[in-house]
Amino acid sequence: MAITKELNISPVGRVEGDLDVKVYMEDGVVTRAHTQAAMFRGFEQIMAGKDPQSGLIVTPRICGICGGSHLYCASSALDTAWGTTLPPNALLLRALGQATETIQSIPRWFYAIFATDLANKKFANKPLYAEVVKRWAAYVGTSFQKGVTTSALPVQVYALFGGQWPHSSYMVPGGVMSAPTLKDITRAHAIMNQFRKDWLESIFLGCSIERYMQIKTWDDLMEWVEENESQRNSDLGLYIRAGIEFGLHKFGQGVGKFVAFGTYIHKDLWNQPKIETRNNAVISPGGFWDGKKYYELDHLQVQEHVKHAWYADVPAAHPWDEPLPTPLPSQNLAETNFNDKYSWSKAPRYMNFAAEAGPLSRVIMNANPANKAHQFQDPLFMDIMEKMGPSVFTRTLARLHEAPRLYLMIDEWLRQVDLNGDFYIKPTERDGKGWGATEAARGALAHWIEIENGVIKNYQVMAPTTWNVGPNDETGNPGPIEAALEGTEIEDPHDPVEVGLVARSFDSCLVCTVHAHDGKSGQELAKFKL
Amino acid sequence: MANVLWLQGGACSGNTMSFLNAEEPTVVDLVTDFGVNILWHPSIGLEIGHQVTELLDDIIKGKVQCDILVYEGSIIKGPKNTGTMNYFCDRPMKDWVRELSEVAGFVVAIGDCATWGGIPAVEPNPSESTGVQFLRKEKGGFLGANYKSKGGLPVINIPGCPAHPDWITQILVAIATGRIGDVLLDDYHRPKTFFTDFVQTGCTNVVNFANKVDGGFGKRGNGCLFYEVGCRGPMTRASCNKILWNRQSSKTRANHPCLGCTEPGFPHHDLAKGSVFKTLKYLGFLPQDVPAGNSKLGYYMRAGFEKTMHAVEVGLGIEKAHSQGSK
Repeated sequence: MAITKELNISPVGRVEGDLDVKVYMEDGVVTRAHTQAAMFRGFEQIMAGKDPQSGLIVTPRICGICGGSHLYCASSALDTAWGTTLPPNALLLRALGQATETIQSIPRWFYAIFATDLANKKFANKPLYAEVVKRWAAYVGTSFQKGVTTSALPVQVYALFGGQWPHSSYMVPGGVMSAPTLKDITRAHAIMNQFRKDWLESIFLGCSIERYMQIKTWDDLMEWVEENESQRNSDLGLYIRAGIEFGLHKFGQGVGKFVAFGTYIHKDLWNQPKIETRNNAVISPGGFWDGKKYYELDHLQVQEHVKHAWYADVPAAHPWDEPLPTPLPSQNLAETNFNDKYSWSKAPRYMNFAAEAGPLSRVIMNANPANKAHQFQDPLFMDIMEKMGPSVFTRTLARLHEAPRLYLMIDEWLRQVDLNGDFYIKPTERDGKGWGATEAARGALAHWIEIENGVIKNYQVMAPTTWNVGPNDETGNPGPIEAALEGTEIEDPHDPVEVGLVARSFDSCLVCTVHAHDGKSGQELAKFKL
Repeated sequence: MANVLWLQGGACSGNTMSFLNAEEPTVVDLVTDFGVNILWHPSIGLEIGHQVTELLDDIIKGKVQCDILVYEGSIIKGPKNTGTMNYFCDRPMKDWVRELSEVAGFVVAIGDCATWGGIPAVEPNPSESTGVQFLRKEKGGFLGANYKSKGGLPVINIPGCPAHPDWITQILVAIATGRIGDVLLDDYHRPKTFFTDFVQTGCTNVVNFANKVDGGFGKRGNGCLFYEVGCRGPMTRASCNKILWNRQSSKTRANHPCLGCTEPGFPHHDLAKGSVFKTLKYLGFLPQDVPAGNSKLGYYMRAGFEKTMHAVEVGLGIEKAHSQGSK
């Protein structure tokens, strides 16, 4: 007889609002999963009818972790709507803001949110467990302390240009507010150098950035791990060894389709900001990969579905054509009917497909052979996808892999700032439609704006978490986390750490709650104390 | 030793992120050296699942002592006062807060959403958000004007969008080290030690303010942002230019107008057309908001005199020095 289980984990982790995950299990395997975003604030409604620049203040406050990314989108959306002119320095300072926020997030996310789960007693029988606990246990782990505290360094650089992190509004249509001086640039170099010495090369890589950057294939990476004790015992070396030993490569596959909007607009390629010229201008390319083939990014291929979201029904539509959402009554998890509406998150689709957003999507786009000379060209993750496929392990490796390259980019962009050049060109305000996009640390983020009679008529925000935690669409296809949970083997239903690891590998913005149910009857069988 | 429970309602986690930037003490130091015991925190708590629900129940029943309840984010009451737009552990978050506030030693509201309602409470306030003990400038909020925690204080408000990490850690250390008696609160329940001086105190543009030299975006410290781009530094109480942000800078030092985020009412003028990064004016030239402590008429006369004289001097080629920033 099949053993059916229902799990309730409330909450799993970790950022703004609650994410409930209902999991149905049969014989210890997840057969179906639903994600429920459990908090509504209504930012898009708040902006309607307000000053066109409201998004610069309001949208960073959607997410305190990705505030700089929201600002990158909000300013670009206005740039395209108003037809501004952007000086090269402005594009550099915006890219620096985005890059410092993202590189900060790598150790902060890895140590504070992800790796503490690997210190879970579930893995106690593994040979590397003792070392993992010594380093990554919350608060007391040797790397936890260093990783969390040095993560504050890159955002010190953000503060030099933006005044503070989180929640600056220094990117404005036409450029940036600040005009750094020589001492700001030299200080920024010095702070980043400290970050390199305190964590990036010493604790994280165990080698020089240059050595790590030589890795082009999965075999190269394995060779790098075993090359010497320093690399083997670095945190990245330990993650790769422990990740495979703990079996993280065996679960959390997802939908197998990936979307990235790309980011880091080149200083000389978007001085007249237009939606049509953005694909060529981004240094980290965007696109859509369906598991076999690359497609050039076209934001008009994006639609949002609300059939299973607590908003008044409207047909799936592109954000410019969507009405502002009308909230409907919601239920708690126990009373939710998952055949009906069940989440505050909408379900975005690209070419009608659910797609994963995040670092893994980005590094897949980086491997596109069609990338131009000024864009990232890094074949590593296409090789890893072929050899290992997507998983909790691969997704996390993608996030970590970005740190050394971002360090080099930050260094280069700091050198390119021209202290004699302009930082801002005052734009003319006008009505129109705009689109701004970027890659937040956790994935594709975009804002769509329509301005009419000098105020915001429509503002639509699509966050990476919307892509990943979104519910079923109109045709009943699951969202990426829902899909990634299906098939996951739960070793101990009393401590379903696998479910938490899958959810956290996507780095959803939401505090995650997991509830598991009988796969056949759908009934909640028992409450497990976890 | 102090047990801290940290919850997030209608929040962006910005205050948590700010908190993680803290130095002297770092978050880790708080735990390992200052006896701050984090019972649970949404991002950096260890318990998951039913452990959390049980913990909350144990606190409410008095089995576990909660010395400090830190609340981040607005209290979401919508729709129609049900709070069901924000479930947490299967109940509306507001119901948890109501019960926990009755047993907590002190309640600390962190950030603008928790203190005054913040951005979620901007009209039309779709989630019916409020602050814990204020809604914008009005006392009352969710817990009511008369609420006092077991420790005898009303909700301690640490505003800011986000709050500066030092404002958070120092208050936690003050409570943990038995110095709560020295924490004096102002009319908006803000600790006076951080919220008495104005943002302008320590602003590197203060000379330009005194000389009435206008600034704008993309310039280097060669003009004050009060006159054209809506800086609220002269009427906002916070220590942003005394205890710098991320140990490096502040908004106004980076040529970013102060948004007035430690005052109830942020975002000011409710994001009305023409109010974002623009100084609202009467007759096209008189600022609607004048520096705190000034009569409007008196300020207009003094500032007008300075501005006129400055324009004359620049016209004659006498004056230049103050308006030139270094590269």
